[in-house]
Amino acid sequence: MSVSKEQLVDGRRLYAIASVLVLLLVVYGWRFFQMQVVEGYIYQDRAQETAQRSEPVFAQRGQIFDRNYDAPLASNRNSFTITVVPADLPRGAHEEIITRVALLFDREPGPVLDRYRSTARGRYQPVEIISNVSVENLTLLAENIREFPGVSWYSKPERVYPFGEVTSNVVGYVGDITTQELQILFNEGYTATAILGKNGIEQRYDQLLRGSDGRRFRLFDAQGRRIGEDERIIPPTQGSNLVLTIDRSLQELAQEALGPRIGSVVVMKPHSGEVLALVTYPRFDPNRFIGPGGNREVQRLSRDVRSPFLNRPVQSAAAPASTFKIVMSTAVLEENAFPLDEEIDCTGQFPFGNRVFNDWLEFGHGPVNLAQALAQSCNIFYYTMGTSRLSLDQIIDYSYRLGLGSTTGIDISGEVAGLVPSPAWKEQNRNSRWVGGDTVNLSIGQGYLQVTPLQMAVMMSTLVNDGIAKRPYILSEVRNPITGNIESRVQPEMVRDAELRPETLRNIRSHMREVITDGTAEVVITTRAVESAGKTGTGQVGIQERYHSWFVAYAPHGEDVPVEEKVVVVVMVDAANEWEWWAPKAANIILHGYFQGLDFENTVMELRRGPRPLWYM
Amino acid sequence: MIKEIQSRSIFEIDLYIVAVTIALLVTSVLFVFSSGVTATGQIVSNEYVRQIVWGATGLVLMLTVTFVHYRLFYRLAPMVFGVMILFLIITPVLGRSVYGARRWLGIAQFGAQPSEFAKVALILFLARFYSDRWKQAGSLKTFIAGLSVTMVPILLVLAQPDLGTAMVYFPIFLMIAFFGGARPSHLAYISLFVVTLVFFTALPFWAEHLSRRAVPFVGVLTEQFAMQLLLAGLGAAIVMAGLGLFFTRRPLFGWLIYGFSIPTLSIPMAYAARLVLRDYQIMRLVVFLNPYVDPQGAGWNIIQSITAVGSGGPFGKGFLQGTQSHYQYLPAQSTDFIFSILAEEWGFVGVLFVFLLFGILFARSLYIMMLARDRFAVLVVSGVVAMFLFHFLVNVGMTIGMMPITGLPLLLLSFGGSSIWTAMIGLGLVMSVYQHRYQY
Repeated sequence: MSVSKEQLVDGRRLYAIASVLVLLLVVYGWRFFQMQVVEGYIYQDRAQETAQRSEPVFAQRGQIFDRNYDAPLASNRNSFTITVVPADLPRGAHEEIITRVALLFDREPGPVLDRYRSTARGRYQPVEIISNVSVENLTLLAENIREFPGVSWYSKPERVYPFGEVTSNVVGYVGDITTQELQILFNEGYTATAILGKNGIEQRYDQLLRGSDGRRFRLFDAQGRRIGEDERIIPPTQGSNLVLTIDRSLQELAQEALGPRIGSVVVMKPHSGEVLALVTYPRFDPNRFIGPGGNREVQRLSRDVRSPFLNRPVQSAAAPASTFKIVMSTAVLEENAFPLDEEIDCTGQFPFGNRVFNDWLEFGHGPVNLAQALAQSCNIFYYTMGTSRLSLDQIIDYSYRLGLGSTTGIDISGEVAGLVPSPAWKEQNRNSRWVGGDTVNLSIGQGYLQVTPLQMAVMMSTLVNDGIAKRPYILSEVRNPITGNIESRVQPEMVRDAELRPETLRNIRSHMREVITDGTAEVVITTRAVESAGKTGTGQVGIQERYHSWFVAYAPHGEDVPVEEKVVVVVMVDAANEWEWWAPKAANIILHGYFQGLDFENTVMELRRGPRPLWYM
Repeated sequence: MIKEIQSRSIFEIDLYIVAVTIALLVTSVLFVFSSGVTATGQIVSNEYVRQIVWGATGLVLMLTVTFVHYRLFYRLAPMVFGVMILFLIITPVLGRSVYGARRWLGIAQFGAQPSEFAKVALILFLARFYSDRWKQAGSLKTFIAGLSVTMVPILLVLAQPDLGTAMVYFPIFLMIAFFGGARPSHLAYISLFVVTLVFFTALPFWAEHLSRRAVPFVGVLTEQFAMQLLLAGLGAAIVMAGLGLFFTRRPLFGWLIYGFSIPTLSIPMAYAARLVLRDYQIMRLVVFLNPYVDPQGAGWNIIQSITAVGSGGPFGKGFLQGTQSHYQYLPAQSTDFIFSILAEEWGFVGVLFVFLLFGILFARSLYIMMLARDRFAVLVVSGVVAMFLFHFLVNVGMTIGMMPITGLPLLLLSFGGSSIWTAMIGLGLVMSVYQHRYQY
């Protein structure tokens, strides 16, 4: 079959496109002719003079305050950054000069050279080689500047943390942006000289804190000589100030109460979700990352087996042990699974399948009802509940309803979700079937169950706040850095309704009160400053004489006390420490100090003089 | 007889295109090299070596495609297009993040931009689409179907995000539809829509950053209530014209609907586009209108490029003698602004030389279109012409401030493996059409 060409290509359309092509070449050609031949001399002059160089004028990063808004937890100090302009360094002597500058400021030349090589871009863009140089040290360079051609400096605010390690796990720290971070954040307006929050609030709210940098422009001729003294400045915009929910003095009190023990403390308001204290140990001091030896300090801490960078209250999950009995009791009450006045005879032994599970008290507690079982932390009672009165699905359901097994949504990065185990989970991850013994272990909060201290605080808050769970949060207000006016305020946010009957809530709270008045915690909670309620926990980790120590509490107890006044305290002391049963002891000090408004020393002094002397300190 | 023609045709390869391609590639290597040399004569980039490798492999690729009968590509077109769409879908998810966008797919240090190769895939697919439907080519249904197919790669590439490359697919569609027999009124409608969309998007920014006095009516575009009122008015006008058309059957009312519906669609779309566009993209639009608004920031590139071009003069400063480029005042010298370096160092003569080469390429392609044996062949060539034309229009226009900065490379001259290979596969297709012009 032959098709005539007229049908294939419409001649008029072909001419139309051909005309467009010709027109394009002619118009562009004419424009080039105008620019290059007719007006070329104008541009030739301009090429001689438009050599303009610019350097950044850095914005002050927003300050971070605690809830009292009096003294900053993170602030700025004037300091200098040493730069080099590659084109101005003498040929072949780049490395030699940079090495000499590094030694002058007591830095290791290796990393400084690496930084130069990895960030040098344009030949005329200043490259940062050493950050955070104080005015005193800068004079070393300034006085001998002739020996360092191509080296210069500009002012760049340096971050300081006046309270050092007290709030380091909450506030975090900042550092120079890395090449990888820049690749990802380029479109958000970050540049190669940006300072970036690396951790905590500094990282989470970097966009609010960083403000925007300005620029200073100066003219140079084509040979690189400065022309005139003119300079034009685009002023920087300061970053916003942040006010946190953290109470600095409570944070310090809780830290000293925990002492040098690996573990964590959470204090929060159940009514709103405000986190008043978030303590971890061991900690780091971000001020030591700045200046000479800063990199070495980071590397040393990264290698520390005790993981000082781990923010334990949100990033470290462990079995909740007996504190989980609160969840069990709540389930029993809500489901009416066991009458309040009925008792179970605890003999200290619980035969199940082909195994015998023991109580922690060798010969048992004798007959106990639900309230006494929680107060005495009777394992046998809860084994019975878990295996015959409640179904496994109910235990799992109540765990989720009280916030275990999922992240709490706190505004700090790296939170872990812990684990509420289920038969399906075990099939998939352990490749074995769920057995009755797993349920027995789960009933007393052992086995595969993993929770973070913050999750336990949310669990307790839910029960205190009549079943309504609020998202725990740390950022409270954003304030204008100049006027101090509030730009926005974070509102408490409900995340879950556990849907518990008022009767259940009243009963579980009174049972927890009995733990303090007639139960396991009676001997350690010596404070008379406030009526508290809670639950102890002693977690087996498979090592003789080593246990996780948990204490989950709230205060003041009392159905007539407004919920706004109540706080929840969770202390967790890791099994890596000597066994001291320290969690309830620390909580005792924290509760007394908080409600009396005292610092650590005065709290301990007052408790020693109290009606029941502090026997353990 | 046929056998004789076939054997003869192997030696009848289109030498014009081969010669022009080689000339452009050599020029490209020269200026990629030049862009990597600093004012003090140090060679700071080995990009030119890679460009040689890509050019040489590209030539092999081009000749391979030449000797394959284009009917094979006709058969493979849907599959090729499908595979490319798949690559475009996974790129934003699995791609490498470079300067805030995910455009690259790759293993180890080897990577490719699927959005480049997707141009050829789209050309093949649309050429087949329109050649299969040539009897209904003028129908609205065909037009909407063809446009919808084109929107798929456009939206996927926008998601990367890569505004520049996403734009190229549109002229490819226009050109193939134009030669495929689409109605000019349809093509004009969609083109007017795009133009008014860009205009309404940019107007408020222009009013905010550039205009020294208040611009009337801009509020209509930025305030929701005013915009709703305007749209309601336009809607009423369309309804009335519709009624008029229904009762009187006069074509005037049809054209009224045609005219009114364009702003009715583009104004709300522009409002949405302003919400989606990033700050840096907006600034590029604004500085295109007047680079001196922000001479040290976003306008810097345009000013430096114009200065480089203008200072080149009639005969240029000589190879490797350019000042603007060697002081590295130009960003992305080897890709976006390679033509500025050429214009600076070779002057107006060099510009004319490159224009001549591209002119031959275009003329030859149109000639081959007339020789082509079937509709698919015609449309493939027209698509390749559209691709080269648009890259040339935008990239060269950008160096003299007549087009906004979008990061589109100049095909065959700019540094970059994916774009060189795409261009040469495209030329291979054109030559394949020439090669097989006597075969049925």
